[in-house]
Amino acid sequence: MLQLLCKLASRSPWIYRINAGSCNGCDVEMATTALIPRYDVERLGCKYCGSPRHADVVLISGPLTLRVRDKVLRVYNEIPHPKVTVAVGVCPVSGGCFRDGYTVGADIDHYIPLDVIVPGCPPRPQAIMEGILKAVEVWRARLEESVCCHS
Amino acid sequence: MTEILTDSLQAVFAILIFPGGLFVLALGLFLKGVDRKVLARLQRRVGPPLYQPVLDLIKLATKETLIPNTANEGAFRLAPVLGLTGMLVTAALMPIGGVWSGVSGLGDLLVLLYLLPIPAMGLMLAGGSSSSPYGALGFSREMCMMFAYEMPLIASFLAVAVRVGGSDGTGGSLLSLPAIMDYQFQHGPLLFDPVMLPAALALILFIPGTMGHGLFDIPEAESEVLEGPLLEYSGPLLAVFHLMSAVKLVVVLELGVALLCPNPLVATGGGGVLVNLLWHICKCLVLLMVSVTCFRAATGRLRLDQGFSFFVKYTSPLALVSLGLAFLLR
Repeated sequence: MLQLLCKLASRSPWIYRINAGSCNGCDVEMATTALIPRYDVERLGCKYCGSPRHADVVLISGPLTLRVRDKVLRVYNEIPHPKVTVAVGVCPVSGGCFRDGYTVGADIDHYIPLDVIVPGCPPRPQAIMEGILKAVEVWRARLEESVCCHS
Repeated sequence: MTEILTDSLQAVFAILIFPGGLFVLALGLFLKGVDRKVLARLQRRVGPPLYQPVLDLIKLATKETLIPNTANEGAFRLAPVLGLTGMLVTAALMPIGGVWSGVSGLGDLLVLLYLLPIPAMGLMLAGGSSSSPYGALGFSREMCMMFAYEMPLIASFLAVAVRVGGSDGTGGSLLSLPAIMDYQFQHGPLLFDPVMLPAALALILFIPGTMGHGLFDIPEAESEVLEGPLLEYSGPLLAVFHLMSAVKLVVVLELGVALLCPNPLVATGGGGVLVNLLWHICKCLVLLMVSVTCFRAATGRLRLDQGFSFFVKYTSPLALVSLGLAFLLR
């Protein structure tokens, strides 16, 4: 019964985007191609939300620059459990072409656990959508864990 | 004594099961699903399944509830419950042509005027108590829009009341919903009454205004004020807000149907009730398509001042024209 509920619940992943100092390339791929009508993630139950409090799946793009680091961490902590993180583009995992810049600190996974990584500069829309689907699977496992622990 | 008992039992039944309560919750979630699916098809997308709103609710129930430590916790928790209960009581007042004529003594159009702003009050309380600057912005936007869309609502209520009251020759006005339904059963729907046409248009524009869709997606604009009053809500409390909005959708659609075209398809009795209920749901669907789905597929958001003056400049005069005509032709 609980498992069925988790299965149903995992069909409504709400997406929140964090731009951690991205060059905007990945954001364009996310906002104008992958997550908007042409590829229609709404058929998977996804919805864009403006507030981190409503989110289940977090998409992070860009290297974590020193200036936004604390703010990104604060927003990340505002997201209620259970949540999953998707890194979009190479920047979050390695810093990409910004890796030796004076504004870029350590990689994001020193601060935030990354569950799915979608490499590319920028990644193709299909890749981003596949990343979201993988994130939903991780999220479902996490949901089952949390619901079964509570009961 | 027994009469009072049966009356109050009937009222409780009306609020908890039919036509309020369970029935209205189910219908509201269904209408929300249809709205999202049709909107997706209008944009040439596949769209979510019809039962997506139910999945969303299940998901929200599994999430953690976070309450900001600067928020007023009591008001923060009260706001969604206040909105939902207010709407469930309102739904019990809504008559359904050929099925249900409302609980006698529960209320009429005047009571509706007081009950309809309750969800907006709930949202304002939510925005105010959440201690977030975006919540406060949402609060002020919600209040401005409320003042704007209440005007045409009151004017079209009055127009209907004067039109219906004038028919019996005494020249008074009638605010009772069953009497307005009876008038339409005898004289045909008010929707096809040329005098009432402007008021009908105003009422159709009131629905997206109060639901915050299309042009009037101002209080909860997610790309401007990050969903305003709902910003700080998560988990089950957010789910209650979603339920509230679903019930509110049904209430405003049923209100439109009751005032404009409540006529049943077949005579009551036997299977007639069921047919009439389905017919009523069909009418709600048509009104939903016209005033919510197509409207929000075709329009974008206005600025707050533009949204406000839209209702003051265009919608209220429409309703006032009807009111004036109805008054003259009494």
